[in-house]
Amino acid sequence: MTRLIDPSLEKLSAIMNEMGNTAIDCISLAIDSYFEGKNTTDEVHTLSDSISTKYFEVEDLIFDMLLKYQPVADDFRLIRSSTEISYAFSRFGRYAYDITQVRELFGDISECDNESLIVISNKVKHMIREAVHSFAELDIRKATHIQDDEAYIDKIYKERLPQLIKSNNTKCALAEALVLRYLERIGDHAVFMSDAINYIVTGKHKPSQKRIDAHTNY
Amino acid sequence: MTSETQTTSDLFENDSEKFKMIAEDVTISYGDVPAVKNVNMKFKEKSVTALIGPSGCGKTTFLRCLNRMHDMTKNAKVEGKVMIDGIDLYSKEIDPIYHRRKVGMVFQKPNPFPTMSIFDNVTAGLRLNGVKDKRILNEIVEDTLKMAYLWDEVKNDLKKPAVELSGGQQQRLCIARALAIQPEVLLMDEPASALDPIATQKIEETITELKKEFTIIIVTHNMQQAVRVSDYTGFMYLGDLIEFRHTKKLFTDPKNDLTAKYVQGQFG
Amino acid sequence: MSSLEKRQEYRALFKQNVQKRLIVDKIVRIIIISCVITAIIPLGSILVEVFKNGIAAISIEFLTEIPGSVGSGTGGVGPAIQGTLIVVGLASLIGVPIGVMSGIFLSEYGDNRLARSVRFFNDVFMEFPSIVLGIFAFLVIVLVLGHFSVWAGAFALSLIMFPIVARTTEESLKMVPITYREAGTALGLRKWVITMRIVIAAAKEGMVTGIMLSVARIGGETAPLIMTILGSSLFFANMNTPMDALPLRIWRLSMLPYESAQLQGWGAALVLIFIILGINLGLRALVLHKKETMQILKTLKEKVGGKN
Repeated sequence: MTRLIDPSLEKLSAIMNEMGNTAIDCISLAIDSYFEGKNTTDEVHTLSDSISTKYFEVEDLIFDMLLKYQPVADDFRLIRSSTEISYAFSRFGRYAYDITQVRELFGDISECDNESLIVISNKVKHMIREAVHSFAELDIRKATHIQDDEAYIDKIYKERLPQLIKSNNTKCALAEALVLRYLERIGDHAVFMSDAINYIVTGKHKPSQKRIDAHTNY
Repeated sequence: MTSETQTTSDLFENDSEKFKMIAEDVTISYGDVPAVKNVNMKFKEKSVTALIGPSGCGKTTFLRCLNRMHDMTKNAKVEGKVMIDGIDLYSKEIDPIYHRRKVGMVFQKPNPFPTMSIFDNVTAGLRLNGVKDKRILNEIVEDTLKMAYLWDEVKNDLKKPAVELSGGQQQRLCIARALAIQPEVLLMDEPASALDPIATQKIEETITELKKEFTIIIVTHNMQQAVRVSDYTGFMYLGDLIEFRHTKKLFTDPKNDLTAKYVQGQFG
Repeated sequence: MSSLEKRQEYRALFKQNVQKRLIVDKIVRIIIISCVITAIIPLGSILVEVFKNGIAAISIEFLTEIPGSVGSGTGGVGPAIQGTLIVVGLASLIGVPIGVMSGIFLSEYGDNRLARSVRFFNDVFMEFPSIVLGIFAFLVIVLVLGHFSVWAGAFALSLIMFPIVARTTEESLKMVPITYREAGTALGLRKWVITMRIVIAAAKEGMVTGIMLSVARIGGETAPLIMTILGSSLFFANMNTPMDALPLRIWRLSMLPYESAQLQGWGAALVLIFIILGINLGLRALVLHKKETMQILKTLKEKVGGKN
């Protein structure tokens, strides 16, 4: 028999999945068009906005469920983590938009050396995809990979920034610094997301390989 | 998550904790049918432990063995030990009457003695045991009615018949009556289930105050009440103690499948 | 879930004849009330008859003097009143405690074979014709002691009384919800304390009613008294002699062919009814409404005291 809370949980799940997929599209579009020199500000903005609207919808839904159903156990952890995850999605959209703004403000950046940016942004795209799928299937095996990916991004970020100070081309350096910053933040939120997903499944806030193994029976 | 029916508990591995009451291998049967099987629980002093579970799981049966109420029931057989401060309640040398005064009980439906006034009800356990000193009786009445959050409402008319009080007030009167015999442990069998929400709230406030001094064990089928009021929770199902942990942990991250299903309303 | 059409269909099934059913309701009500009236009329008319016929006989002389010579119309039923009070009182002193104790045993300690047998015999006993009990008392006491006596009369009446008291006590105690006994147990009280101080207090009304029923019953018994106290024309001398009682006197007076005797018979009947009523009300006032009764008595005392 369906419980009173089930329809709301299903709705939550549907909206979150939409947000996740839109976030992947949004980021991919923003990053790709940055390197291709295309202006997709409006499109990205629309996508980001839709994520934002859904974020508020999700918050309302969550507090409604708390008010009405006083959920416990799995339901409780799912709902609690959904606040963090939906915020992460909204941030993805926001940073994607910020990236397109860089292109718009700085104009043509085709002369810049975007090699490290490309490496990092591919990593980031991969991370986001992994995180969204991990949430959709509540599969926490990817959790430690996401952690490693984020650590790698952090490393590159810390290496690259000091190098930019020595650069001759101010425009390129600033553009790269800004985009690096956005990508690093996206990475951070991806990790927060994976921690939140880990909490749903294991009940603990920080993933560890031992716990992941205990909770995986594939 | 595990799905065995051995009790899942990560409590009390450190045995230097102070336990007021310990139930060891308690099995209760009516005739040949076991209603409670091999339950092991430890109750820390000055804490509230909640017992939850679907109807017929044995939680009330178990609660009642803690003050030997089953002596009143024909056919009921209790095995195992129930120890207060290290002394087994069920050993042959102990007079059950003596230990029932250490363990008070409040019942599901308020049951103040119908022919007695408020004052007489509170002091019933004392007067009928030979305590006659008026000064002491008055002191105890004021003390216990204050603990039960009832004093202000009745202090001007203690001679009023108890049955003229509202349901919630009657239940608080029963709490005061149970406290008057100076117990150390208080058992409560769904104390608020017959009451309206405001009265329920008052009872919960009372319990929260009382736990500063007493060890309280409460059977409830209201899970939110267990979350609000208790420090530890035990989940029982078909006579077994399935899981027994810190309340917050049991309700946010139950280790047993059955517990998770029950608390989320997937059965029972 | 059924559709709207189905629901309309179901609703149409219900009987539509509300008017007719209201009328049937009224008719049944009238039938019931008339049955009640039919039942009360004989009772009422008895009271009216007794009052009508007996009131003329009532006087101080009637109430206090010994019977005069047969047919003279003088004297009174003093000894009979005294005898009724003594024999009923004595029978109660024996029958009520035994009956109440049995009732308590059957109710509180009665979940075993002994109790079941006792209950069975009690019920059988209640059905015994009172004349048989009278004969029993005759054999056991009158023949053994060699004379009719008040003892025998009290004994015979108590035999009638105690099964009724036992039964009603047991039923009244059983009506007290078990939760009060549990509350007492949880307070660490011993069983007899719980029974005496809590359960009986709650069952008071039922028990008093039961006792009143049995007192009324024995107050009017005649056959056992014939065999045991025989009757007499004198006031109470000692426990070992025959004694008069109102039912006996009424019987004797009604057999005589004189009109004056008949009148005295009606008067005695009226007195008996008043006595039973009086005991009933008095017992209720003292046991059930103790507080108010004491208040009233106190105010009366003050008024009387103040006047003097």
